[in-house]
Amino acid sequence: MSAAGLLLAAVLAGQLDAAGVGRTVATQRGRPVVLALWATWCEPCVKEFPALEAMARERKDVAFISVSIDEPEDRKTLEAFVAERRPPFPVYVRAAGPDQAFIDGVDREWSGVVPVTLVYDRDGRRLGLLQGEHTRADIEKALARAKAAR
Amino acid sequence: MRLTRLAVIAAALPAAGAVAIGEKLQPFKLNDVSGKTMDLAGLQGKKAVVLMFIATQCPVSNAYNERMAALSREYGARGVAFVGINSNRQESVEEIAGHAAQHGFAFPVLKDVGNVQADHFGAQVTPEIYVYDPGWVLRYHGRIDDDRSGANVKSQDLRNALDAVLRGQPVPVAETKAFGCTIKRVAQ
Repeated sequence: MSAAGLLLAAVLAGQLDAAGVGRTVATQRGRPVVLALWATWCEPCVKEFPALEAMARERKDVAFISVSIDEPEDRKTLEAFVAERRPPFPVYVRAAGPDQAFIDGVDREWSGVVPVTLVYDRDGRRLGLLQGEHTRADIEKALARAKAAR
Repeated sequence: MRLTRLAVIAAALPAAGAVAIGEKLQPFKLNDVSGKTMDLAGLQGKKAVVLMFIATQCPVSNAYNERMAALSREYGARGVAFVGINSNRQESVEEIAGHAAQHGFAFPVLKDVGNVQADHFGAQVTPEIYVYDPGWVLRYHGRIDDDRSGANVKSQDLRNALDAVLRGQPVPVAETKAFGCTIKRVAQ
């Protein structure tokens, strides 16, 4: 594998269905979790990505997980985006399957809009569902609630 | 346990501000791309009314342009009214007019300044569809179909809803979800 390929393999974290997303969040028990679902075709997702990266670099007390909902035909764009940015959190890719099953499986209250950011407390309870464009301050507020809920 | 129960109850309820299946349409007025005011009350007597929150820049909404145009032609001939609504703050009337002409939309596209109607309906994404029956009761809310690419559609949700409404039968699946672009609302 080329150096670029090795780098990519180290950043792209594999495919997840909705149950896999739940398991991945659950493995972080003991730390609050920020779960971001996004796509390269989604302009606000790309716009807020740097803030998420900056936050992940600073908040080592929080686990950051991202899942791309890009379609297989968007795969090259996704790979190029991730290779260039090298985000400090795992980037999973949604496994093929019906959209609605994935949306409801991740969270029944999620409308399907992207970006969406879910915030869980250290016990895995979802305390924040930020649908659409949000700022770092919004995520920090949700994290504060997660901490207060302890 | 208490939290879990609350979460389940919350999940079963429509989002705050959203219209619900079975709810009556409250007619509204918006300007179309020519600046002419369209009063939805003028659509009374139609066999169904389809409201479509759409966008000019969203790749998901744009993937459905041809399907929306085709469905509106096909069902328009059967007495169904289609109305596009653009609530995105950054998409101008001029841009919407050019987009509608480019894609051969035979239906009006209304500009929802200040996302007033998007807020009333609780619309979150584009495209997002609301189907009303002849009595102006909401019978379907959700996606057009289950495949953005159009190459592997297994569930023609909007078509199924319209066929049921035209037959006077219950819509088999009244609510669906799909991925979509967020409606870009004005700052709160």
